[in-house]
Amino acid sequence: MSDRKLPRLLQTPAVLLLLVWMLIPLGMTLYFSFIRYVLNNLRRPEWTSPSPSNWRGFGNYEFVLKSKDFFLAIQNSLFIVCSILFLTVILGILIAVLINKTFPGQGIVRVLLISPFFVMPAVNAVLWINMILDPVLGLQGIAIAGINDVLDGLRQIPILGAFFSLWPEFEPISFRATQTSAIAVIMMVTWQWTPFAVLIFMTSLQSEDQQQKEAAVLDGANTWSQFRFLTLPHLGRPIAIVVMIQAIFHLSLYAEIEIVSRGNGNKNLPYLIGEFANNNIGAASATGIFAVILANIVAIFLLRMVGKTLME
Amino acid sequence: MGRIVLDQVSKTFGDVEVIPPLDLTIEDGEFTVFVGPSGCGKSTLLRMIAGLEDLTSGAIEIDGEDVTEVSPSKRGLAMVFQSYALYPHMTVRKNIGFPLRMEKMQQTEIDKRVETAAQSLNLMDYLDRKPGQLSGGQRQRVAIGRAIVRDPSAFLFDEPLSNLDAALRVGMRLEISEMHERMRTTMIYVTHDQVEAMTMANKIVVLQAGRIEQVGSPLDLYHKPQNVFVAGFIGSPKMNIFSGPEAEKNGAHTIGIRPEHTDVSMTAGTWEGRVGVAEHLGSDTFIHVNDTGLADMFTVRITGDISVKHGDKIYLTPRADQIHKFDVQGQRIE
Amino acid sequence: MAIVAQSSKFSTYGRPVLAWGIGLLFFFPIFWMVVTSFKTDADAVKPEHLIFFSPTLDNYLNMTDNYDYWRFARNSIITAVSATIFTLFVGVPAAYAMAFNPSRATKDVLMWMLSTKMLPAAAVLYPMIFLAKGIGLYDTHILIITVLSLINLPIAIWMLFTYFKEIPKDIIEAGKMDGVNTWGEIKEILIPLAWGGIASTALLVFIFCWNEAYWTVRLTTIDAATLSKLIEGNRAPEGLFFGRLSAVSTAAVGPIVILGWFCQKQLVQGLTFGAVK
Repeated sequence: MSDRKLPRLLQTPAVLLLLVWMLIPLGMTLYFSFIRYVLNNLRRPEWTSPSPSNWRGFGNYEFVLKSKDFFLAIQNSLFIVCSILFLTVILGILIAVLINKTFPGQGIVRVLLISPFFVMPAVNAVLWINMILDPVLGLQGIAIAGINDVLDGLRQIPILGAFFSLWPEFEPISFRATQTSAIAVIMMVTWQWTPFAVLIFMTSLQSEDQQQKEAAVLDGANTWSQFRFLTLPHLGRPIAIVVMIQAIFHLSLYAEIEIVSRGNGNKNLPYLIGEFANNNIGAASATGIFAVILANIVAIFLLRMVGKTLME
Repeated sequence: MGRIVLDQVSKTFGDVEVIPPLDLTIEDGEFTVFVGPSGCGKSTLLRMIAGLEDLTSGAIEIDGEDVTEVSPSKRGLAMVFQSYALYPHMTVRKNIGFPLRMEKMQQTEIDKRVETAAQSLNLMDYLDRKPGQLSGGQRQRVAIGRAIVRDPSAFLFDEPLSNLDAALRVGMRLEISEMHERMRTTMIYVTHDQVEAMTMANKIVVLQAGRIEQVGSPLDLYHKPQNVFVAGFIGSPKMNIFSGPEAEKNGAHTIGIRPEHTDVSMTAGTWEGRVGVAEHLGSDTFIHVNDTGLADMFTVRITGDISVKHGDKIYLTPRADQIHKFDVQGQRIE
Repeated sequence: MAIVAQSSKFSTYGRPVLAWGIGLLFFFPIFWMVVTSFKTDADAVKPEHLIFFSPTLDNYLNMTDNYDYWRFARNSIITAVSATIFTLFVGVPAAYAMAFNPSRATKDVLMWMLSTKMLPAAAVLYPMIFLAKGIGLYDTHILIITVLSLINLPIAIWMLFTYFKEIPKDIIEAGKMDGVNTWGEIKEILIPLAWGGIASTALLVFIFCWNEAYWTVRLTTIDAATLSKLIEGNRAPEGLFFGRLSAVSTAAVGPIVILGWFCQKQLVQGLTFGAVK
């Protein structure tokens, strides 16, 4: 019927825009990934503009697969995303259960808790890596220097001093160093996204069936059993959603990694692509295609798990 | 005017045929009730008449004009929804006047019509409230008001009373019946409640699985059910229906006897059984009889009170002229 | 009885103390940033001024000189506001169509939209730069607005779809019977009824646009650079400017955090696509 067609047409602008947004750049990435294409090359100037005559086949893919950074980046991407997911879900559940019951100032605590979620990632990273985690000037450095000072003082005490002399000086950790920078990123993103998990779990807890709980109490279930057999299953769906949404955001984590260590020893795929894109566009594109494949694997998995239930 | 003709109308959702091709004529001024168990397609049929659902095949005529492709608002029909479907962001006044505003009617004329409708529905005191501040019955009235102001050629009601509590339902039933007596406009009313159907309709259309089982006046359906389904569906308590030797004695595959057409005795009768549960309503008594060998349970209805106990032996005698006979296909035998 | 008594003791003392502790802990970094913003750059790194210091507004007053703050803030406002408007302009009709006139493909279309959100931005980084430079839009507001709109469109449509779904279909059909056309349905019924949902979608899209830090960093140099780019470019590796950096950071996130406080409830509903209530 004609009065159905117009309403349906209203979705075409959105669909077309997204289709263009997806297909054109992705098509170009695919094309670039099969040609030699670098931004600066004095010896082979013909490579500096995209052209089918520079066809390289799977050469870029081979190049990427052979670079050791690539596997480190995949490993790092997964390590960072999985750690954040694990931490935010666990912390989220614990905190949500804790603050779900009314207590004085519940509203204020909620506001305090949710605030980190709205901090822009760039500020988040700058704030943590400088003001908090810096080994000398940040709170970490100041705190450890303070502890060491106290220990020094204790060592001056006549008899006890001998005991404290056995203690080592504490060393502040540099989170800009290669091995630890991923930890710093996990820390700051967990700080930012735990509130999100808390908020969602709390909302879900409020819809928990209280009569069911009362029935469980009458059946002799203790607090732990109630949590294990009633609350956790009830949270199944929100957990899946928290995992899905966070995976979407964290697979493309960028600003934090850039700011913490400029990718020093801690590249994820988006960062590696960015690095390649400074000159070797062919390699950047091939890496991009790998990133798309990885994202698709995750997406298919997640959409299967969560997506269908959303439509009910 | 409001004569509605359905010509070979059918509806399929995907592979499922909800309504096989069906013919039906609703005369002008008639109060027609579509009744049937849930999922029988009665609401779908109503929505097809309203234009809210496309037809898979067939045609709909209103007053001789083919409206199959005409949009809902241009068919000259008004509909009252089960959920009332009031606009929660508008006052009662705005709600009732909304269809007129959409017709670009003059504001003064709208106000006049809204007031008239509100007066007849006892809504004058609530005109400036929002639907959220009204009771279920009042919301129902607003929904009816919104239908009335348009002066439609037919009213469509989709289970309008099912969200009201029992007492209110009886009251609204009467009000709607009275409205029909007063206005004499065609009304099509969908319900799953056979009591509503029996009390309100001029013409009942019994539907099952999208098929019309019988069309007729309430008493037609009560006295001459065309098949076993209609026999079991119309009447409360349900007709006792059973097959077997006792049915064959009457020359039928299946016979049915209404609870109120069975005489009861403690000493002698055609059939023997034991009292299960007796429900005393004061004016009537329903006795559910076990162990008759006829059906799992046989219900009888007696005017007035009778004192029987669980387990008492009881004798039942059907009134011979009130036995409904059906053949193997479940069709009525005269 | 024993269990009940114990848990009530925990409820009276333990729970509030623990909850407040965690709340303050999570808020602490923001609090610390605000505190540091009132210290001079020199005081900010001296342990003896960790807690006691003489507060100064200089960092805020000199924000324009130090960082050209307002230029970046202006770009952030222009791009985030325009992108939000554009997203809603495209998203509301689309979500309306999918919620009230679904076809068989609607579910798949919605799923596909969500999956575009999973497409790693980095994968198309260079083509975007290439295209932007090719049509002369690199480092312009138009480009950033377009990109921000497109990356937020799927989430916006999902959120709106969920809100629209909650409007009873009957009301829309009553509207049809009462003679409203498609435009009337959107104007007279949909927008008034889903006003809250549309507003919180707008708010969330705005927040996401404001905080976006991949495209805004990679597709701008100066002219359209937003606050994300400003912060990213002044990460102060040697800790020299903690005071002024804190001030500009506070100015960049303050309004958004406060805005977030007001829409936390809607945030949950929207971001979980109504699946958590």
